[in-house]
Amino acid sequence: MDLAVRIAGAAGQGVQSLGEVLARAAFRQGLFVHGELSYHSRIRGGENAFTVRISDRPVLATRDQVEVLVALNAPMYRQYLPLLAPGGWTVADEGISAEGERDLRLPAEGLAKDELALPLAAGTILLGAAARLLGLPREAGEGALAAVFGDKAGPNQRAFALGWERAPDGPWILPGPRFPPGSHALLTGGQAVGLGAIAAGVRFVASYPMTPGTPVMEFLAAHGERYGILVEQAEDEIAAINMALGASYAGARSLVTTSGGGFALMVEGLSLAGMIETPVVIHLGQRPGPATGLPTRTAQENLLFALHAGHGEFPRYLVAPSDPESAFYLTIKAFELAEEFQVPAILLTDQFLVDSFAVVPAPAPSRVPVAEHLLPVEELERLPHYNRFELTESGVSPRARPGVSEKLVLVDSDEHDPYGRITEDLAIRRAMVEKRLRKGRGLRERVAPPEVFPEEVRGKRVLLGWGSTYGAIQEAVGILGKEYAHVHLRELWPLRAEELRRVWDEAAEVILVEGAATGQLATLIAGETGLRPHRLIPRYDGRPFTAHGIAEEVAG
Amino acid sequence: MSADRYLADVELAWCPGCGNFAIRKALAMALDRLDLPPHRVVLVTGIGQAAKIVHYVNVNGFNGLHGRTVAAAAAIKLVRPDLTVIAESGDGDLYGEGGNHLLHNIRRNVDLTVIAHDNRVYGLTKGQASPTAPLRYKTRAQPSGTPVRPLNPLAIAVALDAAFVAQAFSGEIERTADLITQAISHRGFALVNVLHPCPVWNRVQNFMWFKERVYPVEGEGHDPTSREAALRVAFGDGERLPTGVIYRRAGPIYDDLHPVLQGDPLGLRPLRTPEELAPLLAQFV
Repeated sequence: MDLAVRIAGAAGQGVQSLGEVLARAAFRQGLFVHGELSYHSRIRGGENAFTVRISDRPVLATRDQVEVLVALNAPMYRQYLPLLAPGGWTVADEGISAEGERDLRLPAEGLAKDELALPLAAGTILLGAAARLLGLPREAGEGALAAVFGDKAGPNQRAFALGWERAPDGPWILPGPRFPPGSHALLTGGQAVGLGAIAAGVRFVASYPMTPGTPVMEFLAAHGERYGILVEQAEDEIAAINMALGASYAGARSLVTTSGGGFALMVEGLSLAGMIETPVVIHLGQRPGPATGLPTRTAQENLLFALHAGHGEFPRYLVAPSDPESAFYLTIKAFELAEEFQVPAILLTDQFLVDSFAVVPAPAPSRVPVAEHLLPVEELERLPHYNRFELTESGVSPRARPGVSEKLVLVDSDEHDPYGRITEDLAIRRAMVEKRLRKGRGLRERVAPPEVFPEEVRGKRVLLGWGSTYGAIQEAVGILGKEYAHVHLRELWPLRAEELRRVWDEAAEVILVEGAATGQLATLIAGETGLRPHRLIPRYDGRPFTAHGIAEEVAG
Repeated sequence: MSADRYLADVELAWCPGCGNFAIRKALAMALDRLDLPPHRVVLVTGIGQAAKIVHYVNVNGFNGLHGRTVAAAAAIKLVRPDLTVIAESGDGDLYGEGGNHLLHNIRRNVDLTVIAHDNRVYGLTKGQASPTAPLRYKTRAQPSGTPVRPLNPLAIAVALDAAFVAQAFSGEIERTADLITQAISHRGFALVNVLHPCPVWNRVQNFMWFKERVYPVEGEGHDPTSREAALRVAFGDGERLPTGVIYRRAGPIYDDLHPVLQGDPLGLRPLRTPEELAPLLAQFV
């Protein structure tokens, strides 16, 4: 069972809220859901579409074709009618023409105005009708409305009921619950990153708003008071990263969240993090560039940028979650590795992952242990002399907070001696370069291998991907059949080369699927192993991959 | 105890006759007067000759990037209000590269002291005009004289309603120490602009040039609690250079207005337990 509903309208018509209500209603029925938001960069007008998939199996990708189209205006009806699946229905106000085979038309605008005195509720009336067609019980929708609208749910629940009562039963029968209550969560990638950051002990966030980095900032601000997290809107991204490093030096786990343009401004600060060995987590939500690009669309164009950003040489951890579940755990891991190895960690997501809802196994905060890596005060007191940049075998020096003992803590952006004092002693310079780079060896050992599915790839055509393309590639392999396999990378740097070499040795063909034009993962892997994918399936129009899209491209 | 406890026993790389020596001494005197334990002070600096001061004193130090001094300092103070945080750098760092951070941190009004070494010239990069260099000032980078008007840090700070604005002259060490002491003691964002000669690169505005032009504002009955009077003093008469407290005001600081900053310092709080996350996670299951 796999149904998709698209709610499309102008910005300001509540498309996002309606989509969330539908996703929640299906989730409350114990079904798997994926909700994808596609929007123009404007507050009023333009195009907003929320595509909700309802399935009896986990879904982490969107679809182009839908079974039900809820059109909130005539242009959206005409634009999306060609993407209606055979046997599908459209739901719209009676003022909108009916050119399809199954067009349900309701006096939604009239009812909203006359019965509810709430013109904006027309969309909720149409949503109620769509829910009935889909076979969703009325109570599921009303419960979801209460969850999304809170105190203001009353009129919307009445609107939902008005639509539900006026619609016929549809041709679809939804299955019973696929998971018990409490076992799964409905999360966006952005929420998952925020939850992971809270679990990892974040105390300070400095950021300048930029789509799609902003949802993480706003999520943490919303929960800042409860959890003791200071979220400060910086004057620019340069301030943001330097503030985060100041706060981290002072003992607060720190995060910045941004997109490509903002990250570009942070690059000198990234290099500072490398030099002063002060942990920071950078959430980089990708969108199409160059420059301002397509501000509200998705892309995977910043892999090599994130990997190579920063002058000078220093280790870093680069990780790209594939879905809200891995976003939660890998955000915790990013904080932990940043703290343990005193390096910057870059969490590479994208608009599709940040904004999309998915039903995933409920996050278990204890699964990734969170430990204090700062030097305890008692140990600091016992040291005869404290050197912030002590030369050690692992390259990791004991890191102390300033102001907790009489030992002073000095960090310097210039090359420095073990104490932290500026130096031009070139023997010390060599020792410090080597010390910093030694940390990369320990970091490499902590990186998990790529996911290979099925485990045996001998003779198969392998679809290779990273980050948020996971769900679409996984489904595409299901469509393409047994000749195909899926290899997926989440932890991108340090790169685990062993498993990749095996894939190249055994597979009949390696096909890179990536939301960029040039095949950036191919460049990364080739640089480390000399191996190149045989084919590239790029996408650079700002839209996420779909399983059918990939399958068609692969089959040629 | 003496001010010497704050001075690091290292070789100083400043040129003979540089005003930075006096400012370093004044800073140590101010810390001594306030009897601040060295480990309870964080000195944040950027890049430039002035910024090297972090290596010449014995306190905690964060020597960050050029221009980003105040940004890093503000965040340190936000998460560690238990520490005294001082940002110190040159006119190029604070007023040029870091101008945006200065503006917005005056607005942010964190309890921070900013000490600006203002010699109107770039030292480390060898003599180019700084943002406070006078119109038509000639350098190797501006051989026909800079056509850019100087920035007036005092007027900017007063215009943005900074909590404390003062100007000192490095030739008056006692007075400089006193103004730094007042700035540290004042609750909120405090700027001390310290005029000082650069004997190597600024041959025009030398020690005597400054000495002849500075005057104490209190000697002329200036009321530093009046913003209007402060602006007049800050604009100046085109000839003389005011020293002393130009402007000060009381009022809430950032911390007073932010609910998250009411408990223990964020930078000293323990990690969360997995159980603490449970109620929030429950909203999503």
